[in-house]
Amino acid sequence: MENTVVKIDNLVKRYGELVALDHFSLEIKEGEIFGLLGPNGSGKTTTINCLLSLLSFDKGNIEIFGRKMTPVSYDIKKDIGIIMQNVVVSEELTVRENIDYFCGLYITDKKLRAQYVDEAIKFVGLEDFTKFYPKKLSGGLLRRLNIACGIAHKPKLIILDEPTVAVDPQSRNKILEGIQELNRSGVTIIYTSHYMEEVEQICTRIAIMDKGRKVAEGTKDELKRMIKNTETISIEVLGLGEDILAEMRALPHVYDVKYDEKMLVVSCSGGKHNLIRALDVLQKHEVGFGRVYSELPTLNEVFLEITGKALRDKED
Amino acid sequence: MQVFKLFMKILKKNIFTSMIYVIVFIAISIPMAKSAAADKTFKDASLKIALFDEDGTAESGALREFIGRKHELVELADDKDKIMQALYFDTVNYVLIINDGYGEKLAAGETEGLFSTYHMHDSYATVMVSQLLDSYVSSVRGYAAGGSDLASAEAKAADAVLQEAEVTIARNESGGVLSSSSASYFRYLAYILVSVIISALCPVLLKLSKKEFRFRTNCSCMKSSSYTMQVFAGSVVFIAVVWLIMMVVSVIQNGGMFTGNAWLAVLNSLVYTLICTAIALVICSFEPSDTVVNLVTQIVGLGSSFLCGVFVPQSMLGSGVLAAAKFLPAYWYVKAVEMLGGSEKFDGSRLAMYLLIELGFAAALMLIALVVNRVKYTGAAIKLPKLAAEPQK
Repeated sequence: MENTVVKIDNLVKRYGELVALDHFSLEIKEGEIFGLLGPNGSGKTTTINCLLSLLSFDKGNIEIFGRKMTPVSYDIKKDIGIIMQNVVVSEELTVRENIDYFCGLYITDKKLRAQYVDEAIKFVGLEDFTKFYPKKLSGGLLRRLNIACGIAHKPKLIILDEPTVAVDPQSRNKILEGIQELNRSGVTIIYTSHYMEEVEQICTRIAIMDKGRKVAEGTKDELKRMIKNTETISIEVLGLGEDILAEMRALPHVYDVKYDEKMLVVSCSGGKHNLIRALDVLQKHEVGFGRVYSELPTLNEVFLEITGKALRDKED
Repeated sequence: MQVFKLFMKILKKNIFTSMIYVIVFIAISIPMAKSAAADKTFKDASLKIALFDEDGTAESGALREFIGRKHELVELADDKDKIMQALYFDTVNYVLIINDGYGEKLAAGETEGLFSTYHMHDSYATVMVSQLLDSYVSSVRGYAAGGSDLASAEAKAADAVLQEAEVTIARNESGGVLSSSSASYFRYLAYILVSVIISALCPVLLKLSKKEFRFRTNCSCMKSSSYTMQVFAGSVVFIAVVWLIMMVVSVIQNGGMFTGNAWLAVLNSLVYTLICTAIALVICSFEPSDTVVNLVTQIVGLGSSFLCGVFVPQSMLGSGVLAAAKFLPAYWYVKAVEMLGGSEKFDGSRLAMYLLIELGFAAALMLIALVVNRVKYTGAAIKLPKLAAEPQK
């Protein structure tokens, strides 16, 4: 049975009248890439800060590696790597010195640290920039440096708080590949983001947060099954009559049909062979059609249906 | 020692501005000390005077000889343009023409129409020579009226007028344990210490206490106490080095090691260094930007220096200014320096009181910094969570 790495139980965090975390619970197993998904202000960063004991909280309990997490749990902290939302490096240190500084907060053995620093530099692909100062690096390279600073000490649990904000697609892909590679080496990952595609691409399990609450949790397939829409069929077709549309609406699992004189959109909830049944109706009435698409729901649709709003509505 | 090393690296990058203060201070303080020493000698002023004798008598000759004994007689062409030019370019300070009939008029006791002159209006040279001539003529008349013949009256008058008094420069050095130049050095040190410590220490402390940076460090397994101790050690090393440099310069400037109670000035400067560090901590607790730090450095450095008598002795400041200055630590520092410099009688117990007041300021400032930091981090204060039995919604 997989070990529980992180256990958050009934966490409540208030900022005055504002409830940032509202009885939030979570359990993350060893070897997972766990995605915390939610719009800005949903409580992702507050959760991370509470998890790391950077913030006090009003109620609840946090356990990491089976032990209660407190501000002085240094034996737990040594196995945690953190990559913060903002790049946290010293402008006065070079790339290598920065990684060495942060690694040195965990590893005191100089020889071992030098080896770890070299490995981290290689891992994020900053070999050509070791003597550069941060202000000479591009946004993408800075993010990579930020990651190297967080992982150099070889932690067992890595928390990445929106590590790809303001990063170009090439660097973003490299970062995501790196995270998956770390995970393959046995590291448990907590990944917060408001980018659906990233979470969908790399996370093995996802919790959706909104207004400090966990509104859904599961694998991406499990989440998609939670919503009414399971398949959206789009067919390019001209001159459909009301009788055909009525027949479409009567098909099993179809809960919505829209037609705008060019495109027929059939929304289905569950069931198999929905596309075949829709095409059969058109053929029966000898209606010719053009391109046909069948799309499974995205996490964005999941989020939209669960929370009633689009994930990026509230982006700062 | 990761944090200590980082402290030093950040300090290294920010030390340039502070070093300018130190270098300029050292460059200025040593010549100033030399000039202060040179001020102890007095030399009577000698002017360059061009003299035209239109009288040509023994009396006018005696006058020429009299003037030549005190001042330098300069040859000049008897041409008005050249005379004016010489006065303008300061190659001559005064042009004296002994009018025809001078001898007769002097013998007759007349004082009008003896001389014609060219001079710069209202110059000190004009006043000096006019007074000299008046004294001479009055003395000659006095001796002549007393029965001396004219020649001996002129000789006696010349001796009397040119008699030199022994001059000593009076200084308020009643029992000072510091030389006046050392006292000046230690006074100016109040400005330089506060400027250097704030301008160098604040940027480092601000960078190390930046919220994200502290959060990131708090995530690690480095103990908070270790982090604080390393920052403290870095600060102590820096201020100790600054203070030691200043003390080495003070010894060089003093011309040798301090002796006796002069060491109290060194102790006073050490206490003031603590105050400057505490001021830097208070400033940092408000997390100002670099621009604001520079501004505050100037305001605190120059403001307290002008108000508390760093640049001018406290005796020259108004009572209102001094009353306000008492609420600033620099006032007590300067007061101690002035006592050691001899401006007031040395009194060990009063000096101890000044030092204690300074220490009180340092403690109060440290307390303010602590309180501000505590208030600031209340929201992020780490406290152990309380368990709740409420079910999840």
